[in-house]
Amino acid sequence: MKILIVEDEREIAQSIKEYFKTNGIQCETAENYDLALTKINNYDYDCILLDLMLPGGDGFDILKELKAKNKTEGVIIISAKENLETRLEGFNLGADDYLTKPFHLAELLVRMRALIRRKNFKGSNSIIFNEIVIDIFSKTVSVNDIKLDITKKELDLLLFLIGNENKVLSKSAIAEHLSGDMADMLDNHDFIYAHIKNLKKKLALAGGADYIKTVYGLGYKWENE
Amino acid sequence: MSNKKLLLKTTNSFLVYAVMVLLIAAPVFYYICQWLYVYETDEVLLFHKGAFIKESHKNYSAADIAAWNKYNPNISIGPDMGLNNDSIVGEMLLEAVANDKEPFRILYAPIDINGKRYTYVEKRNLVEMEGMVFSIAAMFLIIIIILLTGIIWISKKTASKIWKPFYNTLNQIENFEIDKNNPLSFIPTGIDEFERLNKSLERLIEKNTAIYKSQREFIENAAHELQTPIALFQTKLDTLQQLDLDKEQSLLVGSLNKDVYRLNRLNKNLLLLSKIDNEIYVEQDSFVLNKYIEKHLDFFTEQAKSRNLKINIDFKENLIVKGNSTLTEVLINNLFLNAIRHNIKDGLINIILENNTLKFTNTGSEIPLTEQNIFNRFSKVNPSSQGNGLGLAIIKKICNISHWNIRYIFNNNLHIFEITF
Repeated sequence: MKILIVEDEREIAQSIKEYFKTNGIQCETAENYDLALTKINNYDYDCILLDLMLPGGDGFDILKELKAKNKTEGVIIISAKENLETRLEGFNLGADDYLTKPFHLAELLVRMRALIRRKNFKGSNSIIFNEIVIDIFSKTVSVNDIKLDITKKELDLLLFLIGNENKVLSKSAIAEHLSGDMADMLDNHDFIYAHIKNLKKKLALAGGADYIKTVYGLGYKWENE
Repeated sequence: MSNKKLLLKTTNSFLVYAVMVLLIAAPVFYYICQWLYVYETDEVLLFHKGAFIKESHKNYSAADIAAWNKYNPNISIGPDMGLNNDSIVGEMLLEAVANDKEPFRILYAPIDINGKRYTYVEKRNLVEMEGMVFSIAAMFLIIIIILLTGIIWISKKTASKIWKPFYNTLNQIENFEIDKNNPLSFIPTGIDEFERLNKSLERLIEKNTAIYKSQREFIENAAHELQTPIALFQTKLDTLQQLDLDKEQSLLVGSLNKDVYRLNRLNKNLLLLSKIDNEIYVEQDSFVLNKYIEKHLDFFTEQAKSRNLKINIDFKENLIVKGNSTLTEVLINNLFLNAIRHNIKDGLINIILENNTLKFTNTGSEIPLTEQNIFNRFSKVNPSSQGNGLGLAIIKKICNISHWNIRYIFNNNLHIFEITF
């Protein structure tokens, strides 16, 4: 899997690159408008992460260029701008997702995976992790062909954990992911503990292995034993 | 002390002066008139006496004197009373025609007729003159009153014309709000002092507006610029926590994650405040408020669980309010978060909608908050709390620009925030 990170802040691009590398995602970076255009014209990517304010040009113009060239890359806008107008304009110009800075790398990774999954959709849309099968459409989870009775929050959590396989996830990253738009209204991040506990229990009851590891003082990690 | 209007004040002193002049002048004028009249009467008496002597009445015989006395009711020649000089006295005498006592002036003068000394007595009735004094005094009064009212009326008219630019300036200053974009335009006055006043006001306002704007921009720019380092901080933390950390390091990174969350929240709240200042949220809608309370009830119920709080909702009506829907949602969320954050374990939150008011009631500290500064930015009651001191400032600001009234009440150990729409 190959993606392009269009971001003028070199250190952010570098962090994304490193974080994604261990999950088998190859990242290329472009730190200005012209370089981004050259790379887009010369190569095909699975996904493009696009900052809007770039030296030498506007991120929106890159979206227009992609549209004009009939390129089908999925685009996630990563921007410090947080207002409805920018968001809507981004979507209108063909962006698939919009993530406001600052963000958790874990959040970016699951969103990107979800986007690529949607783009490469071939008949079935399920995620398989050893004995666990998640059907995205019907929102069901089965372990060893036993269907789990799972809440929406637990499904969200499971997808977030699996999407960040082998990554240590901070409680705040998980809490913010589960809270969605309300992420800024969190009083504390402890509520995720109950969700983790329930999910663990449900997976174990169906005979699933214990993939969820607690990282002391920090958070959790989905680990393939 | 009650304040009077400027124009009223100038006419008032005019009036006081006029009344005083009238009060003093009227009796003085009356007495002067009377004195003049008496003086004139006395002159006439003396003149008559002079004429009597001059017209050679000095040759009158005793019979002539008797005849004179018979045909002259007002002048009588009597025997000598022993006078050496003329003397005039005022006396009340019975007047035969009116059958009443009336004021008279009487002249007693020594005269010689045919070498014999007599006393000349002439009296003059003052009554007709008294009527005249009164009419003169009345006319004089009427003239003074007409003159004064005229002067007051004219001065009032010209004064209101002269002060008009002043009132125009005053009205504009009264309606001026530094956070609104409505520049002042003073009309040219043609009066030096007013021109100076307007010029200095213009300069003052211009300077203050510039300062206000740059401060507002500063907050907005600072918040924007902070986003990048916070983003860097966050992504580096995410990278750092993938390393093989020992327990101590894990704990540190874990708490750093909380700090960066708070930092980010603070920054977003500052941005929100400056966006409200910059009038981004001006669109107005009508909506049912109940909906916004129910919208995130699940979320807040989950947040309230860690403190085992009980949330009671009591909607006595469907409240339709007019305002900006985005801001209203922010308002409700902040009230909710505030009620959870400053609560005690096993505490209580009541949300009541009735009589066009929304009440968020919560248990918490047993000391009431100080009402004057709770809505100020960064006024934190409990320094160790998770809050950033902007929540209530945001709540207040949203209420202000939506023209809703917010009140804080401490009653029965309950903290109550009451918004009247």
